[in-house]
Amino acid sequence: MSAKFRTHTLANGLTLLGEVNSANVSSAIGFFVKTGARDEVPVESGVSHFLEHMMFKGTPTRSALEINMQLGSLGAQANAFTSEENTVYYAVVIPEKFEEMQVLLSDMLRPALDSGEFDTEKNVILEEIALYQDRPHFYLFENAFEDYFKGHTAGNSVLGSHASVSALSRDAMKSYFDRRYSPANIALVATGNFDWDGFVTRAEKLCGLWKNFSVTRNTPRHPGKTGVTQFRRKNLSHAHAILISPGCSAQDPDRYALSILSVILGDSSGSRMYWDLIDKGLADSASIDSDERDGTGCFLAYVSTSPDRLDEVVKIARTILASPLNFTDGDLERAKSKVVSRIVLDGELPMGRLMALGMEWNYRRETTPLSEIVRRVRALSRRDVESALSKYPLSDWAEYRLLPE
Amino acid sequence: MITTTKLSNGLTVIVEEMDHVESASYDLLIPGGLIADDGSTVGASVILSELLCRGAGPYSSRELSEAFDDLGVRHGEGTGLDKFAFGGSLVADKLEEALRLVSFMAIEPRLPEEEIPNIQSVLLQDIAALKDNPARRAGVELNARYYPTPYNRSSLGNAEGLTNTTRATVETLHRRFFRPDRAILSVAGRVKGEEVVAIAQRLFGEWKGTAEVTPLFSAVAPHQYFPIEVESAQLQIILAAPSVKFGAEGYYAGKIAVSLLGASMFGRLFVEVREKRGLCYSVYARHGANNAYGTVTAYVGTTPERAQESLDVLVKELYGLKGTVSEAELERAKVNLKASLVLGEESPGSRASSNATDWWLLGRIRPLVEVSTEIDKVDVKGVDSFLERYSFRPASLLTLGPKRLEVSEELCRR
Repeated sequence: MSAKFRTHTLANGLTLLGEVNSANVSSAIGFFVKTGARDEVPVESGVSHFLEHMMFKGTPTRSALEINMQLGSLGAQANAFTSEENTVYYAVVIPEKFEEMQVLLSDMLRPALDSGEFDTEKNVILEEIALYQDRPHFYLFENAFEDYFKGHTAGNSVLGSHASVSALSRDAMKSYFDRRYSPANIALVATGNFDWDGFVTRAEKLCGLWKNFSVTRNTPRHPGKTGVTQFRRKNLSHAHAILISPGCSAQDPDRYALSILSVILGDSSGSRMYWDLIDKGLADSASIDSDERDGTGCFLAYVSTSPDRLDEVVKIARTILASPLNFTDGDLERAKSKVVSRIVLDGELPMGRLMALGMEWNYRRETTPLSEIVRRVRALSRRDVESALSKYPLSDWAEYRLLPE
Repeated sequence: MITTTKLSNGLTVIVEEMDHVESASYDLLIPGGLIADDGSTVGASVILSELLCRGAGPYSSRELSEAFDDLGVRHGEGTGLDKFAFGGSLVADKLEEALRLVSFMAIEPRLPEEEIPNIQSVLLQDIAALKDNPARRAGVELNARYYPTPYNRSSLGNAEGLTNTTRATVETLHRRFFRPDRAILSVAGRVKGEEVVAIAQRLFGEWKGTAEVTPLFSAVAPHQYFPIEVESAQLQIILAAPSVKFGAEGYYAGKIAVSLLGASMFGRLFVEVREKRGLCYSVYARHGANNAYGTVTAYVGTTPERAQESLDVLVKELYGLKGTVSEAELERAKVNLKASLVLGEESPGSRASSNATDWWLLGRIRPLVEVSTEIDKVDVKGVDSFLERYSFRPASLLTLGPKRLEVSEELCRR
């Protein structure tokens, strides 16, 4: 790969990151805003995600319809997403359209927040909330995180509730925007086939006047909790369970070791969860993830099965989690091969690199070449996993179950 | 550069050389799939493709899984409506080793009988879980009613068919359909055409036989409203109507017409139902086609109190397209389709699968420039004459949720 890494900071604090690769057929561009549900106060619940929608609903110089039509004309694969900690606006285009895409996306990031559009879009958000109400798996995750992270903002709901979104005002959204969307809290990232100098010059012109102010986020560690919580719902045909234990943060060097452990124990195939639960026909879904957040984190297992088997399935999952070092050197090497292959395959496309670079910047203010990440994964040993487990022993679990009424 | 070679046993090997990537992707397509299942064992084909992963050639189930992981192959094996498919992506220099594993699965699977109950158990759970995913269930329920048997089958099979399946059922299926004469191996990425053909010859050259013919498609006769009443937060609304087959006359005009309606962001449904009225989160229209049939599917999911208006607006847009398309609107849809073609060019996975699909459906691979030229040729008149021929009515409509809707004569009239 002939990728060249570049970086620049505008006077107002906006970070520009780029990885230029002229061999690529496409270019990707995205604004990575370090804000999300955990930066909301309770009365604002859902505002980060609602605001993300409003970025498509008009600017001082473009109507909502004009934005939609221009995205269509650019042939852009454009979208946005909001999580607990990040809000990302991105697009992939053919290189000839990169400049126009940068102009459009930069304009979108200064929204008009028209009150008529606000009211209409509120209904779209309420429909999105209703959509997820019909997804039990989502319902359990939402409620489990809320309870597990009680007293900590990491458990805040991204969508918010019907009540909180209904009560949101346009002015409350504006004040959230004015508190969080400082250029110092945003990275503009581009990857693939594009011209770096032109990108920087345009960013100066398009974003250089954005007003800088200081943005903060408290990132205490969450101590975790234990206990079993059971939820029941009507008209449910499947049962689900989540087990959560304290894990490492996105800044913790142990994240590589815990992440490889999650692959050994709970990858979608070839893992211990796979052989003990899926292969044996006991569960239709079983996985383990290291969920690394800003300053905190958790290690979690998820299973779904028929209601009459849930006890047995959870017991097996707990047995697997109780002996995390019960793997061979071959298991470790295979997990490393899988992870390296994923990094390399995802990194081959500009879109894959865009997400990796932007997220790394938001969490660690670092930029690491693909080759270095691969090197770190390759170097992992059993000792690294042991050392991570001495800090995060995976011994205290909170358990959440969802069963039919 | 794309090369196509037919081995002496009939296996077609397609290779696209891509210099700007380090990886390679493969797709192996074999005729069969759900339509090949007997009526009493619908889903046996799904069990078969699961069983192929549970041991093949010299490898036990676990050894096979570990061998794929050692090579870092991101792979998937599955059963489609009319075919079995094996796909994977990996760093290009390990391609032969990965295809060696695939060849064992396709040609010498062990089909261990003791694994069948476990596979049945997971698949039966998947069927039960469908009830907890209304959007997906609505699609499955509509297909079951809209398409003729056996083309109306769910990709999960059915509970009775899965339960009836035995080792003998899957062994027979494998013997009847896992044959090279109509199979396609498509590879794209950092590879050389002649090397891939040599690899295919080494691994698949001894594979022999002729696959049986799968059932032909009979016509659809849509004209009904199927309400399914269940308790849920949203009502799922989905309709289907006949459209043009893959690659047939008017195909590109049809793709563009449906994109004018159904594209995210700029499509009329997105703009009218979601953007202007805020009636839903999810709305779309899609064009699905193969060499047997073409179908336009339109969907909106919304809460019951907004459902009637959502359906009414959707129907109005669906039938209001003809004679109202502007030049600018058409141009936008064309640019968009062409851009997605170019963007698809960059990933070995999408090239391998697109080449395989072309060969599967057309017996040739459309060069990108041909597709692009055909898109350019479509004008407003072409869209209108397509809509004259395929008016999307009558349609079949299905709703899944807490209420029924008023359905106009126009929509479901024969």
